[in-house]
Amino acid sequence: MPAPRRPPTFNTLAREEAFRNPPKNGATYSILNEFVAPHIESFNNLFDDGDRRGLISLGVESIGKRVVFDGSGKESGSWGNRMQFWIEDVAIGRPMVPEKDKHSINRKVFPAEARERLTSYRGKMTIKLCWNDPQGQRHEMHKECGLVPIMVRSVRCNIAGMSSADLVKKHEEPEEFGGYFIINGNERLIRYLILPRRNHVISLLRPTFAARGPSYTQYAVQIRCVRPDETAVTNTLHYLSNGSAMLRFSWRKQEYVIPIMLVLKALVGASDKEIFEGVMMQDYGNTFLSDRVELLLRSFKMFTLSTGDQCLEYLGDKFRVVLNTPEDWTNSAVGAHLINKLILVHLENPRDKYRMLIFMLRKLYALVSNSCCADNPDSPQHQEVLLPGHLYAMIIKERLEEILNAIRTSISLDVRNDVVVDFNDKKYLQKILSKISFDIGAKLANFLATGNLVSPTGLDLQQASGFTIVAEKLNWLRYISHFRCIHRGAFFAELKTTTVRKLLPEAWGFLCPVHTPDGSPCGLLNHLSRTCRIVTATLAVGHIPAVLSAHGMTQAFSAASVDGRKNICVQLDGCVIGWARPAVAKQLATNLRIWKTEGLNDIPLDLEVGLVLESRGGQYPGLFLFSSRSRMMRPVKYLANGRDDQVGPFEQVYMDIACTPEEIEVGTSSHVEHNPTNFLSILANLTPFSDFNQSPRNIYQCQMGKQTMGTPSTALQHRTDNKLYRLQTGQTPVVRPALHNTYAMDAYPNGTNAIVAVISYTGYDMEDAMILNKSAHERGFGYGTVYKSQVVDLRDLPGSTKTGPAQLHFGLGKEITRRPEDDPHHCLQTLDVDGLPFVGAHLSTGDPIAGYIDDTTGRTRFAKYKGDEMAIVDQVRMLGSDAGDSELQKIQVTLRITRSPVIGDKFSSRHGQKGVCSQKWPAIDMPFSESGMQPDVIINPHAFPSRMTIGMLVESMAGKAGAMHGLAQDATPFKFTEEDTAIDYFGEQLLAAGYNYYGNEPMYSGITGQEFAADIYIGVVYYQRLRHMVLDKFQVRTTGPVDPVTRQPVKGRKRAGGIRFGEMERDALLAHGTSFLLQDRLMNCSDYSTAWVCRTCGSLISLGYEDVSLGSVATSGSIRPTGPGGEYCRVCRAAAEQDDERQRAALANGDAATPPPKADLHVAITSQHVLGRASKGGDLDVVAVPYVFRYLCAELASMGIAVSLAVS
Amino acid sequence: MSEQQNAPGRGAAPGSAIPPPKEQMEYSCADCGATNEIKSREPIRCRECGHRIMYKKRTRRMVQFEAR
Repeated sequence: MPAPRRPPTFNTLAREEAFRNPPKNGATYSILNEFVAPHIESFNNLFDDGDRRGLISLGVESIGKRVVFDGSGKESGSWGNRMQFWIEDVAIGRPMVPEKDKHSINRKVFPAEARERLTSYRGKMTIKLCWNDPQGQRHEMHKECGLVPIMVRSVRCNIAGMSSADLVKKHEEPEEFGGYFIINGNERLIRYLILPRRNHVISLLRPTFAARGPSYTQYAVQIRCVRPDETAVTNTLHYLSNGSAMLRFSWRKQEYVIPIMLVLKALVGASDKEIFEGVMMQDYGNTFLSDRVELLLRSFKMFTLSTGDQCLEYLGDKFRVVLNTPEDWTNSAVGAHLINKLILVHLENPRDKYRMLIFMLRKLYALVSNSCCADNPDSPQHQEVLLPGHLYAMIIKERLEEILNAIRTSISLDVRNDVVVDFNDKKYLQKILSKISFDIGAKLANFLATGNLVSPTGLDLQQASGFTIVAEKLNWLRYISHFRCIHRGAFFAELKTTTVRKLLPEAWGFLCPVHTPDGSPCGLLNHLSRTCRIVTATLAVGHIPAVLSAHGMTQAFSAASVDGRKNICVQLDGCVIGWARPAVAKQLATNLRIWKTEGLNDIPLDLEVGLVLESRGGQYPGLFLFSSRSRMMRPVKYLANGRDDQVGPFEQVYMDIACTPEEIEVGTSSHVEHNPTNFLSILANLTPFSDFNQSPRNIYQCQMGKQTMGTPSTALQHRTDNKLYRLQTGQTPVVRPALHNTYAMDAYPNGTNAIVAVISYTGYDMEDAMILNKSAHERGFGYGTVYKSQVVDLRDLPGSTKTGPAQLHFGLGKEITRRPEDDPHHCLQTLDVDGLPFVGAHLSTGDPIAGYIDDTTGRTRFAKYKGDEMAIVDQVRMLGSDAGDSELQKIQVTLRITRSPVIGDKFSSRHGQKGVCSQKWPAIDMPFSESGMQPDVIINPHAFPSRMTIGMLVESMAGKAGAMHGLAQDATPFKFTEEDTAIDYFGEQLLAAGYNYYGNEPMYSGITGQEFAADIYIGVVYYQRLRHMVLDKFQVRTTGPVDPVTRQPVKGRKRAGGIRFGEMERDALLAHGTSFLLQDRLMNCSDYSTAWVCRTCGSLISLGYEDVSLGSVATSGSIRPTGPGGEYCRVCRAAAEQDDERQRAALANGDAATPPPKADLHVAITSQHVLGRASKGGDLDVVAVPYVFRYLCAELASMGIAVSLAVS
Repeated sequence: MSEQQNAPGRGAAPGSAIPPPKEQMEYSCADCGATNEIKSREPIRCRECGHRIMYKKRTRRMVQFEAR
């Protein structure tokens, strides 16, 4: 056998082998584990690894202890016995089978089981509740906090770190990467959310600030301070028009504002001089600044507080009730607690806080004096990411805190109500604890299931809902996109202004400019660029201040002697560590970058070195170092030493990063990209030749790639998703970017290579319609299947009892005739004797999908199949209980619905060129080329000029050449240049294969056999079938259900409703003068009705009936029924009778008949009708009116408004 | 499909006798694949491994497709 001429480019055999025998020592595609790393690592951050630095431990530490008194010494004025209690040792276990179950061999629960059994994947949480009794004796008690949802593949997951082979054994994908939670069988994940960058002061200019109160202005500086346990407090410093400043923070969703002077003094007991020197920093010539500082100091005189202790006491006195601190604390202790808990919480040392506040004041005054500009909070430079695990930690911490608060409240309530409170009595404590809900697990599960945050503090976040999304496994592209998407926040979605949606240059390399949806979430829902990472580890940076001061930085404690005009501030994670002259700062920044890239001085690579030098009216200068978590970072190459560097969005603004090595400008460029496509997201990277396309088309492809019917999963047998779309005939694209292989796209094919001719052929290809070759269709082009799942849970059905033994059981009762000779019951067509459907049974609407016996009635009832299409039962799952100890109450049926392509189904190429199949054209009538090729798909040439998707034309050529030569063509963007063009590269390949250089061919009409006058552009394009199918969308009705009130047709496809014939459609018919059509649409086909109307009074609602079949009732003379069925107008008859009565009375009295007082009623009735009316008591007639008009008349009558119709 | 075999998937069915109140069916375990005979109103648990999900086996009844 001759050796192959070329190495294979499709790697079919290697892929097949990897799929059959997944690697036993790792993942098939390791990159897939990298891009969800922030999800998983942030979740892992929750737990201690060796040290006590897990987020939960830190949180518990920060919660501290609660104190309660038993009130035993009320008379003597003391608070009584003191009890202190706190939480220790929060532990979360792996998902396990409950202890009750004695049968299971493997006690671990795996994610596949949670998915299949439609339960949640969760582990047990326990805490240690400790307390000191009045004697100081320590007690502790273990408490269970319910089952907490566990992130798949995190350290608490049972499939963490498994190899592909093991994953397949556990019924997972070989490429399973985790990062989500399983809640009731659904995969849900916490979406990344953009937050203001932590521990960094940003200046804000917001006109709304001026409306906060008298003398408030639009100027403020803000810092979002984050504690080591990832909980945050935002402090804002507002500038007042009198030159002073107010510090704002919020506590339990309530905002508080205190004068900054109060805090400065309370922190370190600073004298006025110290504050003056600290803010001025020897810039005495700056009268703007000195004036304001003077005003600031003077304005505080009215408080008559001079020492730090006085300030602390004052603060403590004011905040004692709000903070709910122990009763025996002194005011100054409460004040210190306030400062500790709410002011610059990222810093522990009061001196550090003081320095930072002074810095904030300086920045605020600089902003007011216009010497620096306001920072843009919408720029990624000032943003970071809220990570799933960190949000989880915040919620857990808050729930734990709430437990302690609830215990305290409960005991205090007992003290107030004079219940005997004895801290030495275990029973009493048991009674208190039994009243308190410890079920944190249920709260977390509820949070994940709904995305709603139930929180008394708001967690310093701007939104309370929309945190979680379902990871839909529609296809692989959509699935992996969920894990990279990042949202700006629900608050911004309703904002009228569009500035937040803007694509900023600062986002380069961090957020993909292409991959964002169009429509309402455009620009708010972004996706991370391919190489963007998020830092999840804390870095060791304790030694950096020492290293920097050794290299020329002036240390922070000598600030008073530093000249503020000539020095810029050096900060590390929001802590002022020193001052340096700009030249020194520049040198320090360069040194740090060299050290971190080369690993010298133990400087971590993920340190962000943001050097902002002084500029006129630019960003406030300083050397800002960031080492915290949640920052976005991305790899680039540092040119100075050729090493890998990680840059963040803050520093990137002040860097010159060349896109390609050719673009490096010596002396200017500091870095170069590893790859010019790194700024694109995974999906945007997968569009072939995207650099040839008009940019919106690439955005559309990112949309449509996610709506494609592809291969959602290779473990389809173990999935219970509500809806799955599957393409049966998926292929690997001939033309694909190199990253296609990297991201396992061939394991989840998403479309089919089609022979596409660009020709206007049948007339059925107008307006983006495409013609499908009928033979291609018959060979399986685009054939797909929809998997739907239906759950029958007997406990949810009427007749079941929530507690006690089950009343409903799956099965068929005795009354179901089974023997073939005595007419078996129809349900046996689809149901087996166990009441469950046969696997393989065909179901149509209304067929029984399960039978169950009701114990109370003894009858058999059926659950019905609800869909309107014929479905095949694919799988029937019988779901047991958690412990495997209860009988069958719940089944899950996977239904398979075949979806062969039909006219009206949507297809698209990978270039935002979507179209609807308009005809399945017989192969004999299709055009053919000289070699006899027929296209699978015909599209109209008009698809190209306005859309300019040249990438698709190039793909067509490349695909054709690749198919002929057996090559997988590399379609990575930015590979070709003006000198080395794609046309030439693929044209030469086509020539070598015997085709025209440009990819066009002479073709012949399939109908006449004549050659076309023009050569036809024909090639191979990868086509995706989109999930939008007519079968899910068509809506047609002649007659059908109507609204009971208006009798107009209902709306909605599901209810067999109609499509609204609206105002604009009405206008069109009016304009055409087609009044019969108008009548037909709006009346006859809608709520046509006939009604009796009284010609006399014009009323629609005064119809009365007289039984004429028994002959005329004793009504006198002129008052007779007017309708043939005895109909009469009750209003007019009443009036006539009254009239008669009065005349009779007048006759009797001999008075002149006075006309009755008339209501002001005007009836526009033609005079002939009034004069010539047949009888007194109204003249009824039948008119056709819309039913809704009759309803309107009745409603108006109820409000005392009479409607009168003039009938002519 | 009007001619309905009694209790398909169970082999020889008691043709004339009234079916016993407790139907015994064969299911396969979702974890270990073992065939389990579970009577109605018995707990759903694999006798081999204790797993809590059972799959219904494919019917042995003739399923006729209309090939169109």
